[in-house]
Amino acid sequence: RVSSDGKPEKFQPPPKPVIIDKQKQKEERRFLSPEFIPPRGRTDPLKFYIERKDMIQRRRVFNIPEFYVGHVLAVTTADPHANEKTSRFVGICIQRGGKGLGATFVLRNVIEDQGVEICYELYNPRIQAIEVLKLEKRLDDNLMYLRDALPEYSTFDVNMKPVSRLDHEEVPVNKLQVRMKPKPWSKRWERPKYNIKGIKFELPESKMKAAQKWSQPWLEFDMLREYDTSKLEDKIWREVREGLKN
Amino acid sequence: MRLSVPVAISHGRVHRRLGLGPRSRLDLLRNLVTALVRHERIEAPWARADEMRGYAEKLIDYAKLGDTNERAMRMADFWLTVSIVFMAVIELKGNPLPPLIRPHRDTEKTLLNQLLKGYREDLQQATKG
Repeated sequence: RVSSDGKPEKFQPPPKPVIIDKQKQKEERRFLSPEFIPPRGRTDPLKFYIERKDMIQRRRVFNIPEFYVGHVLAVTTADPHANEKTSRFVGICIQRGGKGLGATFVLRNVIEDQGVEICYELYNPRIQAIEVLKLEKRLDDNLMYLRDALPEYSTFDVNMKPVSRLDHEEVPVNKLQVRMKPKPWSKRWERPKYNIKGIKFELPESKMKAAQKWSQPWLEFDMLREYDTSKLEDKIWREVREGLKN
Repeated sequence: MRLSVPVAISHGRVHRRLGLGPRSRLDLLRNLVTALVRHERIEAPWARADEMRGYAEKLIDYAKLGDTNERAMRMADFWLTVSIVFMAVIELKGNPLPPLIRPHRDTEKTLLNQLLKGYREDLQQATKG
């Protein structure tokens, strides 16, 4: 080809392909399981350090996946009285409690019209496998209100196949608004102390206004109640990563 | 954590019970914090001053975040009941008024500097002689 100048064109090499390294991107997002963060108090940090060592030891042998409240999990535990000596339970995680080795999570499912909740300990040596079947975060940290919601929101198929994970970066948030059974409920979920965003309240306006009487607007300005865990988290995250690398 | 356990707090608690209730307690402490910012030194009952100290220090931490930080401004709006304006003086050059007394931190005339100056002169004389 002849360019407009009349001089022969210099060979332009084709642009180099840009390789987006998915592995690197995954490392940037870090998740520290909430039971590693020690609670606020006057206990000796040595106690938490020893506990963390034990937790890391267990995690090296047994893989505990990253999961939040709202995920659907399947847990197989060793059971001496079962046929194959294992029992499998599938359910939605409604609550994650406890710190350290006693950390628990509660799975809920409705089996044959009966609601069943099982509280498992994460570091229980009888647990043989934890699989994440469906990944989705919900609007709240505590889904205890599913007990008073219509049973369709808590039923999950026991033989559910794990949903394939598309993005390695973000956990999707399900903005589902759950419909409730008629009152009375186990707790008054409309009160602001529970701060629930995931219920579709079909109560009359007067009841909602009456519930706001129990709101404590000064609580968010109470500075001494805030517990800043960012530096602690950084330190513990590095410790856990060092421990799990080996 | 505060190791000197005050008498009025029951086991495991952090906050004292002041005023009529939690709202009243925060209002009391709020007034004290505003007064502290305005007058820089106040006198109050020991329990109230002790409670207020934590909040005043946290407020300073929030203030360090800056003017544009929305959360910091919301905290300041709640805790400072009155907007406190710090006054300044401005004057034109060559004005007929007497000069302002501006306290300088380190001048030649402070005792320490005078003593150090004397010491330096002594050393020089010692090396010369």
